Amino acid sequence: MNSTHILSAFDRDLEAVQALVMRMGGLVETALLEAAEALDARDEEMASRVRAGDKAIDALEDQINIECARLIALRAPAAGDLRTVLTVMKIAAALERAGDYAKNLAKRTAVLSQMPQVMGASGSIRRLAKAVVQMLNDALDAYIRRDVKLAEDVRQRDRDIDQMYNSIFREFLTHMMEDPRNIGPCMHLHFIAKNIERVGDHATSVAEQVIYLVTGSLPGEERPKFDTTSARG
Amino acid sequence: MDDMRIVERTVNTKASKISAKGVQVHYGATHALKDVDVEILENTVTAFIGPSGCGKSTFLRCLNRMNDTIPSCRVDGSITLDGENIYDPRVDPVRLRARVGMVFQKPNPFPKSIYDNVAYGPKIHGLARTKAELDEIVETSLRKAALWNEAKDRLASPGTGLSGGQQQRLCIARAIATSPEVLLMDEPCSALDPIATAQVEELIDELRASFSVVIVTHSMQQAARVSQKTAFFHLGNLVEYGETGQVFTTPQDPRTEAYITGRIG
Repeated sequence: MNSTHILSAFDRDLEAVQALVMRMGGLVETALLEAAEALDARDEEMASRVRAGDKAIDALEDQINIECARLIALRAPAAGDLRTVLTVMKIAAALERAGDYAKNLAKRTAVLSQMPQVMGASGSIRRLAKAVVQMLNDALDAYIRRDVKLAEDVRQRDRDIDQMYNSIFREFLTHMMEDPRNIGPCMHLHFIAKNIERVGDHATSVAEQVIYLVTGSLPGEERPKFDTTSARG
Repeated sequence: MDDMRIVERTVNTKASKISAKGVQVHYGATHALKDVDVEILENTVTAFIGPSGCGKSTFLRCLNRMNDTIPSCRVDGSITLDGENIYDPRVDPVRLRARVGMVFQKPNPFPKSIYDNVAYGPKIHGLARTKAELDEIVETSLRKAALWNEAKDRLASPGTGLSGGQQQRLCIARAIATSPEVLLMDEPCSALDPIATAQVEELIDELRASFSVVIVTHSMQQAARVSQKTAFFHLGNLVEYGETGQVFTTPQDPRTEAYITGRIG
């Protein structure tokens, strides 16, 4: 990717779709952070802004798919150019899902603000969201810089997210056992935590696309799993 | 790749340069072109695609009256350049061809120097009064055709001594030396290797800032790469004419889809 095409319009097209993905990534990161902030501050207005903002993210994904279809039809990309187009489409799909999770978080915020507050829960969730957004941000940086090392780092960092999620899971379990009135809000909070953890998985798949883009193959070995909540015990 | 701006060499125009209405062409008893309506826009690359014998070259040659040289050829309908009927008896075809230039399939430089190849048109049309003016036209044309750097130290050597790709760019320089408003290209890259092809395609994209370009090509990929508008001809009919991205992703006519996907030929 360090040299340009003789037909410069090809470069402009490739840059344009990648710029759209970056813009989409920026919107998703903001949506997640604001959704978590709205939850923490019980700010329903901010939550409803996040919900409305998902339309823009979805529209960008549509636009990216249309532009990629055009690029494939008009330019017949090969090798690294082909991988660029394929990864752009996959990353856009991952970001679209992440955007949906942010929207879902904002939706639950509206419900939660009518319920009793659970001590410390929204703070933990906000920290989890921050860590996940940082991962997503790094994954997209790795994409633009074609940085396999950073991508690999993001991929490994998913274990931290899993561990944070585990401890939040246990925290909620404790709250629910202590007082059954916590069950309602804690169920919502748990879904929120789970969804944010899933955004981490999408950030990981963005990082894997970076590795595929640069090396031509997806990383082979299984990532270490540290989400133990589905294990017996 | 660090630069993430969306840069587009956009030249958006709706202004029509050439307007063809109800064009019919007969070669003797053969009905080669049937009722073709096309608007060629300013600052736009328009590609004509279609199987051999579909009429695309015939139509291209109507646009600067190259068909006049074929005695059995009869052209009906109207073709206007900036609203002026080019088949009007008062129109001088030689002057018309200075405004509507042409580049052919095989590079055909004159057996003269590189300089004279480019200077010939401006000389016969009286576009330069002094040697200095002529020098400037030659340099500008060679620069626009992306040949100046390779040719500037050998302007006196014969044009036929250049490589195939350079000869084709020389022919483009010759065609643009008369400052045409429209450039017609009939398979300009079919004799060139992929690198020279890419250079000519890049050139076409640059020329669009100053001219309308109409290109006939057998390579659908080339039409896809360089043009903003695509016209598909089949059996003498203009089947579909639209925005290139739309024609290659969602063609409206089943014949267009069959052709661009390699199902009819």
